[in-house]
Amino acid sequence: MKHVVSIKGLSKRFGQIQALNDVSFEVSSHSIFGLLGPNGAGKTTLFSIVADFLKADTGTVEVLGINTRYISRLRGRMSILPQDAQFQRNVPILDQLVFFRLLAGRTKQQAQEEVIHSLDMVGLQSYAKRRVGSLSHGMVKRLGIAQAFLGHPEVILLDEPTAGLDPAGARQIRDLIKQLRQRATVMVSSHNLAEIQELCDYVAILNHGALVLAGSVDEITRADREYNLCLSRPLQNSELERLSSIEGVRNIKMLSHPGANHGKGSAEYLVTLNLSADHVNQDAVIGAILRGVLDMGVTPRKLVEGRSLESHFLEVTGGQSGDSVILDHAE
Amino acid sequence: MNLKRPTIGHIRLISLYWSRYAVRSGSGLVYLLIALIFGLSVAHILIMPVEQLMARQEREMGHTDPQAIRNTIIDIGQPVTQWILGQKSMKEIIQQSAARQRSVTSDSNDTAVGVEEQKKYADFDPWTSFLLEKRPALLSAIFLVLLFGMPFVISFLAYNQVSGDIQSYGLRYLLLRTERSNIYFGRFLGTVIFSTAVVAIIVVTITFYLGMKTRIYPALALAGWAAHGFLALAILMVPYIAVCSLISALVDSPFLSLVLAKVTIAGVLLGAIAGSFAWKPAKYFMYVLPWGWQSNLLHPEPAHWLGAVLACLVYTALFLMLGYYRFQTRDL
Repeated sequence: MKHVVSIKGLSKRFGQIQALNDVSFEVSSHSIFGLLGPNGAGKTTLFSIVADFLKADTGTVEVLGINTRYISRLRGRMSILPQDAQFQRNVPILDQLVFFRLLAGRTKQQAQEEVIHSLDMVGLQSYAKRRVGSLSHGMVKRLGIAQAFLGHPEVILLDEPTAGLDPAGARQIRDLIKQLRQRATVMVSSHNLAEIQELCDYVAILNHGALVLAGSVDEITRADREYNLCLSRPLQNSELERLSSIEGVRNIKMLSHPGANHGKGSAEYLVTLNLSADHVNQDAVIGAILRGVLDMGVTPRKLVEGRSLESHFLEVTGGQSGDSVILDHAE
Repeated sequence: MNLKRPTIGHIRLISLYWSRYAVRSGSGLVYLLIALIFGLSVAHILIMPVEQLMARQEREMGHTDPQAIRNTIIDIGQPVTQWILGQKSMKEIIQQSAARQRSVTSDSNDTAVGVEEQKKYADFDPWTSFLLEKRPALLSAIFLVLLFGMPFVISFLAYNQVSGDIQSYGLRYLLLRTERSNIYFGRFLGTVIFSTAVVAIIVVTITFYLGMKTRIYPALALAGWAAHGFLALAILMVPYIAVCSLISALVDSPFLSLVLAKVTIAGVLLGAIAGSFAWKPAKYFMYVLPWGWQSNLLHPEPAHWLGAVLACLVYTALFLMLGYYRFQTRDL
C-alpha cells in the first residue's frame, strides 16, 4: 500500500524535555490514522513537525514523497487544524478564510464560494460575517476544521478535532472525517479512545515522546482471541470454573468494567474470555459459553470481539489514563 | 538553512491584508492617534506663536507684515535649528542668545564689541540658511522636530508584526499556505504602507493649515517643501520599522517586543549622547540606528540627502535580513 506520510527517526527536545524520541511510522494512502497518547506524549509536537511549524532535531518527515523541509512544495496539498492556534479576533471569519483562498490563487468570487461551502459543512455559514471574537469555543473549533477542509488537500492533519465540541458537534465532525476518507488521507490526534477506535483504520500510541504501539486498529483490538461478555449478574467462582472447562476456553475471568452500568438500574458485569489459539471453531466455543451462561439463569447483554483500544492504551502507557484520556464517547 | 525566495503576489496580498488588519486590530488606530497627536501638537506649538504675532500686528497696525513675521520666525528658529543639525553646541547657542539680548537692551551700534559679537553668532551656515531662508522656515522647523520624534512613535505600530501571532500560534494557519518569507516581508511592507499613509495625513494637514491660516509663504514653495518633508519622514520610518520587525521576530511576546523596540530606539540615542560626555567617540554609537544620518534628509546638497536615503536603505536591508533569518529558522 502506498505510504502518504513517512516519519523516520524523529526526535525533538525542548530544553530538558525530550518531546519526541526516535519516532518512526508510516501512514497509508486514503486511511484515517489516529495518534493517541496522554497529555505531553508528543502528539502536537509531532503534528507541528510534520507541518514544519517546528524544526526536528533529527529525523525526516516525508509527505506525498516530499521532504517537509521543502514544505512550500506541499502548498495546497496538505492542511492542518492546529491545536490552540488563534484566529484574528477582530476580523470577520469570511475575510480570514477568503484571504487563505486568495493565497491559493483563487479569484475573490471563487474564494467566497469555497469558503461558504466549507463553513456550511461545519454549520457555520450563518456566522460568516461575524468576528471570530464573538464565536463560542466550539464554534472556533469548527471554524478551524472548516479552514482545514478548504480546497482539496490530499493530506489533512487534525489535532484534537472534537475537543471542546458538544456531542452533536463532535458527531458531525466525526461523520465529516469519515467522508474525507474517499478523497484524502487524514491524521487525527485525540484523547478520546472510543472516537479513535470508531474513526481510524490505523493507530499509533505515543508515550513520553516514544512510539509504544502502532498498527491497524483491527489487528490491535482483535489480537489475542479475546472476547468481552457483559452479563446481567456476576458469576460465582463455581460457575466460572464450569465455563472454563468448555473445550477451547483458555482463560475466563470476571472483572468490573470502568464503563459498566453499576448503580444505574440495569447493572452489567463483564467477563473476559481468552480462547485457545489452536482451536479452529471459535464460533462453536462462543456458542457453548453462551448456552452455559443461559443455563445458569444469567442474561448475556453484549458480546464484543477483541480487546478495546482502551485496554491496549492503558497497558502500553502504564495505565496513565488519569484525567487525560476519555474512556467513553462524550455523547 | 533553506531560505525561500519570496513571491511578489503573496507579499502584495499579505501586505494589503496586514495594513487593513492594522486598523481592525486597534494597534493601527492607536498609532494613528498617537502619531496625529504628536504631529499636530508639534505643529501647534510652533505655529501658535506665529499666529499670536500676526494677531498682535493686526491689532496694532491694522494689517500683518509677512516679511516681518518671516524674519521673526528665522530669529527664533535659528538657534534651535543649528543645535538640532549639530552646527552649534548648546554653549554656543546660549552665548548667541545672550549676545542678541545685549544688542537689544543696549545701543550696540556704539560698541564695536557688540557688533562683532552679533556678527559672530548671527552667521548662518549654509544648511541653516537653506532651511530657514530658502525654504518655509516654519515647515522646516516642524519637519526637524518630526524627524527627531517620529522614530519613537513608529514602534507603536511596528512592534507586533509577527510576535503576537507567534505567541497565539495564529501564524500556523498561514504557514502551509505561503512561504515564511512572504509573511515576514508582506507584513513589513503592510506596516510601511500604513506608516506612510499616516505620515501623509500629518503632513497634508499641517501644510494645509499653514497655507490657509498664516498665508506667510507662497503656496508653491509650501507644497514643494511639504513633498520633500513627507518623503524624508516616510523614508526615515522604514529602517525603524525594520528594527521593530527584527525585534518582533526575536521574541514571542508582543508586550516585550514593544518594550524592546522602545528601549532600543531611545537607548541608542541616549546612550550616544550620555556616553559622549564621558568619552567623545561614544557619540558614534548613534550610528547603530539612523540617528546620525536622519537630519541629512533635509540637507540642501542632493549628495547629502541621497546619502541619507541610501543609509536608511542599508539599515533597512540589514535589519530585515537579520529578522528574516531568525523568522525562517525558528519554531513557530
